[in-house]
Amino acid sequence: MESGKMASPKSMPKDAQMMAQILKDMGITEYEPRVINQMLEFAFRYVTTILDDAKIYSSHAKKATVDADDVRLAIQCRADQSFTSPPPRDFLLDIARQRNQTPLPLIKPYSGPRLPPDRYCLTAPNYRLKSLQKKASTSAGRITVPRLSVGSVTSRPSTPTLGTPTPQTVSVSTKVGTPVSLTGQRFTVQMPTSQSPAVKASIPATSAVQNVLINPSLIGSKNILITTNMVSSQNTASESSNTSKRKREDDDDDDDDDDDDYDNL
Amino acid sequence: DAALATVGGASSSAGGDGGTPKPSVAVSAVAPAGAAPVPAAAPDAGAPHDRQTLLAVLQFLRQSNLREAEEALRREARLLEEAVAGSGAPGEADGAGGEAASVLLSRVTASVPGPAAPDPPGTGPSGPAAVSGSATGPAAPGKVGSVAVEDQPDVSAVLSAYNQQGDPTMYEEYYSGLKHFIECSLDCHRAELSQLFYPLFVHMYLELVYNQHENEAKSFFEKFHGDQECYYQDDLRVLSSLTKKEHMKGNETMLDFRTSKFVLRISRDSYQLLKRHLQEKQNNQIWNIVQEHLYIDIFDGMPRSKQQIDAMVGSLAGEAKREANKSKVFFGLLKEPEIEVPLDDEDEEGENEEGKPKKKKPRKDSIGSKSKKQDPNAPPQNRIPLPELKDSDKLDKIMNMKETTKRVRLGPDCLPSICFYTFLNAYQGLTAVDVTDDSSLIAGGFADSTVRVWSVTPKKLRSVKQAADLSLIDKESDDVLERIMDEKTASELKILYGHSGPVYGASFSPDRNYLLSSSEDGTVRLWSLQTFTCLVGYKGHNYPVWDTQFSPYGYYFVSGGHDRVARLWATDHYQPLRIFAGHLADVNCTRFHPNSNYVATGSADRTVRLWDVLNGNCVRIFTGHKGPIHSLTFSPNGRFLATGATDGRVLLWDIGHGLMVGELKGHTDTVCSLRFSRDGEILASGSMDNTVRLWDAVKAFEDLETDDFTTATGHINLPENSQELLLGTYMTKSTPVVHLHFTRRNLVLAAGAYSPQ
Repeated sequence: MESGKMASPKSMPKDAQMMAQILKDMGITEYEPRVINQMLEFAFRYVTTILDDAKIYSSHAKKATVDADDVRLAIQCRADQSFTSPPPRDFLLDIARQRNQTPLPLIKPYSGPRLPPDRYCLTAPNYRLKSLQKKASTSAGRITVPRLSVGSVTSRPSTPTLGTPTPQTVSVSTKVGTPVSLTGQRFTVQMPTSQSPAVKASIPATSAVQNVLINPSLIGSKNILITTNMVSSQNTASESSNTSKRKREDDDDDDDDDDDDYDNL
Repeated sequence: DAALATVGGASSSAGGDGGTPKPSVAVSAVAPAGAAPVPAAAPDAGAPHDRQTLLAVLQFLRQSNLREAEEALRREARLLEEAVAGSGAPGEADGAGGEAASVLLSRVTASVPGPAAPDPPGTGPSGPAAVSGSATGPAAPGKVGSVAVEDQPDVSAVLSAYNQQGDPTMYEEYYSGLKHFIECSLDCHRAELSQLFYPLFVHMYLELVYNQHENEAKSFFEKFHGDQECYYQDDLRVLSSLTKKEHMKGNETMLDFRTSKFVLRISRDSYQLLKRHLQEKQNNQIWNIVQEHLYIDIFDGMPRSKQQIDAMVGSLAGEAKREANKSKVFFGLLKEPEIEVPLDDEDEEGENEEGKPKKKKPRKDSIGSKSKKQDPNAPPQNRIPLPELKDSDKLDKIMNMKETTKRVRLGPDCLPSICFYTFLNAYQGLTAVDVTDDSSLIAGGFADSTVRVWSVTPKKLRSVKQAADLSLIDKESDDVLERIMDEKTASELKILYGHSGPVYGASFSPDRNYLLSSSEDGTVRLWSLQTFTCLVGYKGHNYPVWDTQFSPYGYYFVSGGHDRVARLWATDHYQPLRIFAGHLADVNCTRFHPNSNYVATGSADRTVRLWDVLNGNCVRIFTGHKGPIHSLTFSPNGRFLATGATDGRVLLWDIGHGLMVGELKGHTDTVCSLRFSRDGEILASGSMDNTVRLWDAVKAFEDLETDDFTTATGHINLPENSQELLLGTYMTKSTPVVHLHFTRRNLVLAAGAYSPQ
């Protein structure tokens, strides 16, 4: 793939020959033959963009023709946009000085996997499941043991209801046995509506529901598992497959800060 | 622009500031407020600004008919009538540059007891006598001349900074004059004075380009670029493409070069010779440039030979100032924690029946220090916070100790076997490799932005089960850690997707829970090796990150990239803890010292710097390579550093003294991987020339001469013993050796991608 396989210069079109000459002048002797094509494409695209911009500037300035100043302006504007270069040295030394002044933070002992706050991690789910249509059958006749109801809006601290689930809340659960079993209590976890994945449920559900589960091995000993019980036995298998892994603590959206400025240093 | 000319964090700009004396009274009075408190280097850069302001004020005074004030101001500022009457553009006196200088000179000599302090402005710093535009001792007869010279830089500071140093058409003459002088000088001085050629050439060329004298720049380049040393040819090629001022703007490396001082080490005798020559009237322009852009580190002693000089030069910023390498570095190792080795060895199964727990004394000292005394060269244990050992870490250490007992002792008569892992079908896409410390996993970073992890042992890679399955396991069982692993998806290879650009760096954590990868997309990603998913993306470099490495104790990691800085991170902070800035070009390679208190970075500016993690200071600068550095490794005892670059040489450095102690020649292409054996007896180097070479490290480091002169001046006499030190050369089948690894038993694992020609 090296220069030995380069097409004979005579058969190349003129600008390809020119590009080969440029590469040679810059001291690049070994390159795949496709490099010339790519360089030519780049050159063409760049020049076209610049000239288009120059035409716009020239017409904005109400000039008859495009002249060198327009082109220069176009180049400058494009350079600031696309061909950015790393920050200058004095700037780097300055921020380095600031950053290096703070002492190294102490390390908290025994805290499980040492990761940044959740907002800065990529561990939150980045999907949600669509809520299903209301099914005709009601939940009458279903046995419900005291369950965790996770509703998006409600926070009613009422007594556990056996039997019919309320229209507002639907509880779906997967039994995850842990030493910390909360089956005796009822929790309501507030979740922002947008985040709640609906779960396939044959229970009439008007609002989205989510399961809250924690992957014990991933997180560590600090996190608590919320145990919920199945409302309907026939849905156990299907619903358990729709679990979304979540931590109980505040869990914001997967927030990929795409900071391109230097504040994020 | 306003170049602050700060060279590195550690070096002070007070010393050796050459032509940057304190501004004269008048100028400082009118200078913009920001210029005065700025370090001495500023007046140069601020001078055109000052001059503009000055002229504007003069114009104003004239217009307001404040004649007396105007006269007084002009007298104090010593500006030419012509310059004032005309436009205010700097560089206007261009055409009459040469004469202007001499006119000024005469004016100045006439006003010898002028406001400019005969006491040279650059004095103050003791230590190496810097070139400060001052007469450092010449006797009275030369006084007038020397005073004139003192004032000369003062005036030129007023006139222009980088903007013009005289007539552009005369540059060729100046340079030829200097060349002639140096070539006619005594042999012993010639080698040292020849060091001036390159920086002067580049600076003069850049000045011409910056001031938009394109034709003069081109002819200047044509005439003199062939005279430069061969190892500067790459730089010169880059320079030849810089013909306009606009070209310079985007090239950060060239801008840094312009604003930083090129360091030269010259003996006092040679320096006196040079100074005497340059202070003659016709050579003032060169003198100005020398003072402005060069830092001459003078030492007392014999002038160095060409060979000695060639060994040390080559970097983009010249050599390192001696005081840059003087601070104390704790190169010793941290004490290993005492761990009780529990009882039964598999080897001794036959002997012990029940494992007799109390019989075997816990082995505490098999890893490190036998003595209880603190190694004076080792950092205090709590100098930087380090994570405490978890139980799993202790188990690892015990395994390590067991393996250590089975380690092969290497030497010239007992060379290690090399096991080569060739990546097939990578199509030149293999860009990074790492192997875990216990040699159980190997990771490859690829140009298609994937990271692939293979298991080296027959044991397959398992990830943790999904939550549903986890609910079904018995948590009380003893082997719960085995049960949480999913057998169904076990495989020898796991692919990690997430980056959006080629992956240039990879590093396993010491506890094998995490993998780091750095990529061209500017991020460093942390992957969990238990779930094989990405946990965190660390953003900070906004440009390709060329290398990353975990600290030997975990928790911290360092990354270096195209933005010319290296950053220290901790896994639980989303922003870097330390920023190591100072390199003039990309940071290609970053490595932790075994005691985790220092980080070494190798850069495309051909220097290697050692940084202190505690406060971010640069504590060592090593110059000598003639090409960008691509590999670094510390010796296991922490005292030495080996570096490899595109020039095919491996250089060995003594960290404590800050000296080069060895040079291993043999490779014919970039040395892209280096590794010491576990006990430091053998150094293995892998290169793009498809070979692995083994060198005798014990012999290379013995008999180091560290007498006072050497340590004071940093001059070394390297023995030409590469051939003796070379223990073996092993060819691969057209596979560049990208990574080298010594297993705990001193077997060599090497990795590379097959690239057929």
